Amino acid sequence: MRDLDDFIGLVRDELGLPVGTEDAATGLDEIPGWDSVLLLHLLVVLERRTGSTLSLPAVLEARSLEGIYALVVAAWVP
Amino acid sequence: MDTSDVYLLAAGTALPGPPLDNARLASRFGMDSMWEQWVDTFIDTPRRHLATNIDTGEVESSLADLGEQAGRQALDAAGVRPQDVDLMVMGTATPDMLMPATVNMVADRLGIDGIATYQLQSGCSGAVQALDVARQLMLTGRHRTALVLGGDVGAKHQDVTVDLSTLSPAELVNVVLFGDGCGAAVLGTDPTPDAVAIRSVFVQLVGLGRAPGQVIEWFGSADRGRDPRPAGAEDYKMIEEHVPVMAVEILKELLDGVGWREQDIDFLLPPQLSGRMTARIVDRLALPIAEEISCVRETGNTGNALAFFQLERLLPVMRPGDHAIGIAVESSKWIKSGFALEKAAA
Repeated sequence: MRDLDDFIGLVRDELGLPVGTEDAATGLDEIPGWDSVLLLHLLVVLERRTGSTLSLPAVLEARSLEGIYALVVAAWVP
Repeated sequence: MDTSDVYLLAAGTALPGPPLDNARLASRFGMDSMWEQWVDTFIDTPRRHLATNIDTGEVESSLADLGEQAGRQALDAAGVRPQDVDLMVMGTATPDMLMPATVNMVADRLGIDGIATYQLQSGCSGAVQALDVARQLMLTGRHRTALVLGGDVGAKHQDVTVDLSTLSPAELVNVVLFGDGCGAAVLGTDPTPDAVAIRSVFVQLVGLGRAPGQVIEWFGSADRGRDPRPAGAEDYKMIEEHVPVMAVEILKELLDGVGWREQDIDFLLPPQLSGRMTARIVDRLALPIAEEISCVRETGNTGNALAFFQLERLLPVMRPGDHAIGIAVESSKWIKSGFALEKAAA
């Protein structure tokens, strides 16, 4: 996961949602098909891939895919 | 009371093993505090009991074990001897075996024989369906004392070694929503001083053209291992959308049927999907004075057992003249159900 584009590609593949880079700043609740179970699935996959722990309250504050990406980058210890 | 009524004499329940909280589940499945926070926030089911020991993977209770325990407890509470039971009806989605039916294994353990027994293949409306079948048979005059049971043990599908990160969202939710358990109630045609009259029972299939919201598969020697379908999956979005609407429709149906007003309802036994969904449904039903009787935050969603856990909590607190309404929805092929109870005025 090199950059935001890569991250959005992972969201598309893992969740089966038709999202692109243009959706990066869209509010999560405005993404068609988005829901809390998909959020959990995404977070579990991200934690497995990065080996870092994410905070749910921080994720809920993030409100957009680019916001979640920023959290992942901040938490990532390569 | 109407002499043609059927009365609820007592209820009993059984849960396997110790309570498992979300921290315990998270730790067993290699999940962290984020996962636990998600369950607390979006599901709000803090505890459940499982027949499977999550440390060893051993199945420590069968549905027949729990049915025997719940049935005996209900009979003792009602002061009814096993030999006085002349009808048994059980609802379950997860019988121990397809044959013999679990109801008959429970009968054997309780020393009950020579009577009519029935088992329904049912889900979250199963307790209501079982109560309905028993009540209708009793109203014919053919039976006087029934032991009605409902329960589920999902051990067959409870893989404690599964990697949760590999599960689809539709499978993932089942891990946190459900618990195992069994409940029972004793019904009689003769009122006792504390008996509660079953005024109405409502069961209605509304699945025409509607896709199943919950699917549980079973596999045998020919298709075991080669069938790629998941053993259990839930369309939680459809359930979130339809169940609250159906709950309102069931309430109206029951109230119209018995001629009660919303302000007459002293106790509400709402559908028990999860702590969060149940709270949403209770808000939507907006009954003015009804006290909520729920169990899902302690038991998880125990399917066919749910209404019995609620009845066990309700019966000791009902006062003479009180009215109670129970509501359940089966979201597999969509069955609306409910019941109306009344305790005789002193």
